[in-house]
Amino acid sequence: METPPSSHNWMARHSERRSIILCAIGAVGGLIVAGTGLFTAQGTRMAGVPAEDVAMVNQVPILMSDYLANLRAAKGVGLDKATPAQKKEILDQMIREELYVQRGIELGQQNDITEVRAALVGAVEAQQAIDAAATQPDEATLRTFYNQHLSQYEDEGTITLTDMIAPDEADAKAAVAEIRAGRPVSTAASAHGLRLSGKLADGEEYYFAGRIHLGDTLFDAASKVPAGKVSDPINAPDGIHVIAVAQNTPPKASPYEMVRDKVLNDYRTDKINRMQAGADAFLRRRADIQIAKGFE
Amino acid sequence: MTTKRRIIGIFVGVVLVLAAVLLWRRHVYEDQVLMMRTDPDVILSTPGLRDAALNRGRQVFAENCASCHGADAKGSRSKAIPDMTDDDYLYGQNKPSEIEQIVLHGIRAGDTKGWNLADMPGFAKAIPYTREKLPPLTPGQVDDLIAFLRAANGNDGYDEARVIRGRTMFTTTAGCWDCHGGDAAGDPAIGAPNLVDGKWLKGNGSEADIRHTLERGLAGVSPAFFHRLSAYDARVVSVYVASLHPPAKPAS
Repeated sequence: METPPSSHNWMARHSERRSIILCAIGAVGGLIVAGTGLFTAQGTRMAGVPAEDVAMVNQVPILMSDYLANLRAAKGVGLDKATPAQKKEILDQMIREELYVQRGIELGQQNDITEVRAALVGAVEAQQAIDAAATQPDEATLRTFYNQHLSQYEDEGTITLTDMIAPDEADAKAAVAEIRAGRPVSTAASAHGLRLSGKLADGEEYYFAGRIHLGDTLFDAASKVPAGKVSDPINAPDGIHVIAVAQNTPPKASPYEMVRDKVLNDYRTDKINRMQAGADAFLRRRADIQIAKGFE
Repeated sequence: MTTKRRIIGIFVGVVLVLAAVLLWRRHVYEDQVLMMRTDPDVILSTPGLRDAALNRGRQVFAENCASCHGADAKGSRSKAIPDMTDDDYLYGQNKPSEIEQIVLHGIRAGDTKGWNLADMPGFAKAIPYTREKLPPLTPGQVDDLIAFLRAANGNDGYDEARVIRGRTMFTTTAGCWDCHGGDAAGDPAIGAPNLVDGKWLKGNGSEADIRHTLERGLAGVSPAFFHRLSAYDARVVSVYVASLHPPAKPAS
């Protein structure tokens, strides 16, 4: 007895037509997937927006933290208090910005616009600084850095002095001798015709200010004179100076504990500089740079 | 058991394990979505989220923040690291959303999204401040400013004339008012501390400490953790830090 053809048997039967149809369906399906990916950037789309993002624009995330910051800056409200219209307005602005940034990159504007180039250079440098700032050296490392750079942690010295100009070398020497013998500065000065140089105010000054006012030569001489003493006569282009020092507190390194915050900042700055030098060398090493003859 | 059945059994087992992992991942994702898409400023008052945030936030703090701020989050006055458990807020008003921005983008950390509006100038330098033209001060002028600040914090015994000169200096030449305000009460929008509340960011308000800050300046850095912490961890540690401070007082 002949069995009627079952669907199983139908499937098992060889059919050239069916093979061609299945191949064609597969090919069309593949083309649709590829075309969607190529022309609409939807092909590699994620199933959902990640938790930390508020939207994805061509797979570039718009961060929730940025969205919240913008919402607060523009509308003065947090997520809880913002109206749907406010939320939509801010999100639309951020999506537009992202689209324009992506379009700018497509158009190669980083090659053409000076401000964009400067911003990119600054951003890469800043990234190195951010990485360095996030490192936390231990106390021993910081103390070593402090000891190696002790002069950076000196307080500014202070000095109170009277700078006078003598009529000639003999008067200068005589005035100095009398002051050293105990005669008051003002008396000796008037007796020998010394006048105030007018280079600095009559009062206590920081060392840096004294150096600016007196100039290097006079200040170097003055800073070596102890409190209550007078300098030797100093020859300068504007005359022979005599400097009487009433108070002199030289710079002194602050204790580590007092300047620890500055030591940490300086340590990080030093690290940033080293990282940037390393990054410069690395980028040059891996780059293919051709320089025209005569410009090497 | 035939080989065929054994293979089917292994296959079904693998599928079940995968399904369980996927379900667990889905559950974690949904928890994270809930945490991340809730206004950070209401998490502390949302019981389920609050507990999750505080539990994980405590760990994140211990791993990333405690090295500077201390395990008890009390900071260090000698190092100018703020106490996170008092009611003195240097930046903002202790909102988790504000703290989250600091965690992610830092303070003076080189991140353009971070807080980087002003530094405390050091007045015993030829150029006290590079961002704005300010004159250096003399030791005498620094003394006057110290007298004004100490007197403003309830310390007696300062010569009235010095205090008046210091106040004038504060509100004119030295430019202090520009950040700290004419009343010296500070400005949390730029991280300028209140100078008349008896609480000090660096030191304990002694003459030596105030002199050191006036002469040398101050510009503390908080790192930007944007590339080191996940957004979830940044969120929960911000909520945790906000929970350490007593609640903000209503504006008067």
